[in-house]
Amino acid sequence: MNWLLLAGALSALSAIPAAAQKAAVPPPYAGVYQPQGVDEIGWWRQDDEDERTLAASPLVIRDEKLTGYIRNVLCATVGTGRCASARVYVIREPVFNASMSPNGTLRVFSGLLLRMRNEAELGAVLGHEFGHFERRHSLNLFRTQRSGTDLLAWSGLLASMAPSYNVIRVYRDLQWSVYGHLFRYGRDQEREADALGVGYLNQSSLPPQAAAAMWQNLMAELEASAKARGLRKPNFKTVAFTASHPPEGERAATLAGLALPDGSGRDNRAAQYRAALAPWLPLLLEDQIKLNDFGGSDYLIQNLAADGWTADLWFARAELYRTRGNQRDFANAIQFYGNAISLSGALPAAYRGLGLALTKTGRLIEGQAALQKYLQLSPDASDAKMISMMVPGAMRNE
Amino acid sequence: MSPEWGALKMKTLKGIVFAIGLALLAATPAAAQERSARKQGFELATGSGKRILVFRPSVSVGSQSTGGMFEPNGDWTEKATTNIRVSLERLQSRLGNSVVAAPEAYGDDAQRLQEHMALFAAVSQAVIEYQFFRGNRLPTKKRDNKNDVFDWSLGTGVASLPGAQDADYGLFIYNRDAYGSTGRKILQVLALLGPGIAVKSGEHAGYAGLVDLKTGDLLWLNADGAMGGDVRDAGGSEKRVRQLLEEFPGADLKPAQ
Repeated sequence: MNWLLLAGALSALSAIPAAAQKAAVPPPYAGVYQPQGVDEIGWWRQDDEDERTLAASPLVIRDEKLTGYIRNVLCATVGTGRCASARVYVIREPVFNASMSPNGTLRVFSGLLLRMRNEAELGAVLGHEFGHFERRHSLNLFRTQRSGTDLLAWSGLLASMAPSYNVIRVYRDLQWSVYGHLFRYGRDQEREADALGVGYLNQSSLPPQAAAAMWQNLMAELEASAKARGLRKPNFKTVAFTASHPPEGERAATLAGLALPDGSGRDNRAAQYRAALAPWLPLLLEDQIKLNDFGGSDYLIQNLAADGWTADLWFARAELYRTRGNQRDFANAIQFYGNAISLSGALPAAYRGLGLALTKTGRLIEGQAALQKYLQLSPDASDAKMISMMVPGAMRNE
Repeated sequence: MSPEWGALKMKTLKGIVFAIGLALLAATPAAAQERSARKQGFELATGSGKRILVFRPSVSVGSQSTGGMFEPNGDWTEKATTNIRVSLERLQSRLGNSVVAAPEAYGDDAQRLQEHMALFAAVSQAVIEYQFFRGNRLPTKKRDNKNDVFDWSLGTGVASLPGAQDADYGLFIYNRDAYGSTGRKILQVLALLGPGIAVKSGEHAGYAGLVDLKTGDLLWLNADGAMGGDVRDAGGSEKRVRQLLEEFPGADLKPAQ
């Protein structure tokens, strides 16, 4: 009876999307799409309201150049026809994330931009999100969830009509299998979006191998983060019952297999990516450092410095060490601030950090000189008054 | 990556667990809860001809699936938005006030407006949570140390919102309706007839607040978690708006006969 009920339950839910094992060739682009049916029209309307709010939100980084650049990478990945259906919003939030909602709102989180190393990697993420959008995954997931919960409501009613031990047990089993099914359905959608994402890249001028490389890089960051905390390195192979996405290890391996082998020679446009992101790097690093993830942040900074240290990178590393704030960290920070200052004299905040770190290590005279320099370079800084209290004589100069 | 429609998905996943938890539980309304408050000393005499600026109402109408999930319905939401606007204009004109829709905002104005909409939502949630619900009242809002105090403000920033110069008060409206689907209603009946479990079908919540556009002070707030009137038709929405404007300063909104 148990088994029968389960089988009936699962067949009542809508079909699981076939987890594509080879990179899907993107379907022909259908042109401008309008929502159909009550559910989809309802969700789009809700989504339109959300987008209206988002467009006026203080969280959005409103920079036409940056937004335009990301849009161009999306267009290069999915093709100019498709990318017309997306609106790009860059959200200032230092997490590795992006999302594309049913009506075509593409949210790109600033933490993602810090972690991507070239246009191909960014394209891989944007393509994945576009895959969700093109296959209308949210709508299908909503419908699956609705039939799952409807089923549970009815069977809950039946179970409470004859509340024997066995009936309750069967109901609990059913509950778990419905929940499990819903999570698996979501993970299968991720797999489908992964396959589509690589499918777009295969057809583009960007190397599809970037998708796997990006996951390996993220795994290395997570490993570095765990190591700095003294934790065992994260297990990239487990599938938790409630995981929303397939494990990173599986994704990297699958994506590598899906990539077109002769695509590996294409230009991943790393130089162009670095140039476009350069003006934003200080802000992105500042937000990242405030996450208090020493291992992860240091990994990212060192990775960015792989082809040469810049003043911004030395400064970020110095701030990272100074804000962790052990005595030994100040010693390192002093050295890094020094490196930053020797590369660029136009970094007032480096003098500020240097002065504070020197003061903490007992080198008061040098520290005050550095703080004095900071006040000279940026007399209108928001903390100028506070800093001037640490510099004898500075108050009188005002 | 933890991407895509992230918010949506998390919302619905949380919704499921919540909905199932609710599905077979009787929802008892908090009887001790107050629903409306007015700033001390604020009066708005009928026929004083004030101009009320209505900020874009947040309206969402849909149905409730058998399992309790919210199913948004575009058509109903569209109708409700229009109906509520029309009823609001009619009722306010009977009070002698004129109602103006806030103009479309652009650029920095749009961002400031958005921040104030969010601020109003946060403040009204705080009022509902910490003032209307007695057991939860903040020390500064307690009856015994401050009698009848209703002292909340959005700040003087509201004066610079687009359209605020030409109006006296600002009105914010929030409305959310989930009509029980046929399946939900059948479940409700069967659950009551069979095992005797009370299942709640439908959800009709709304609140409205009046703000002084010079000082930003919250003058009046009315919140109701279980309102009547079907916003999908004109007559029903008039009843709804009348409930929303219950105890509106200077209001005596008897149904028009």
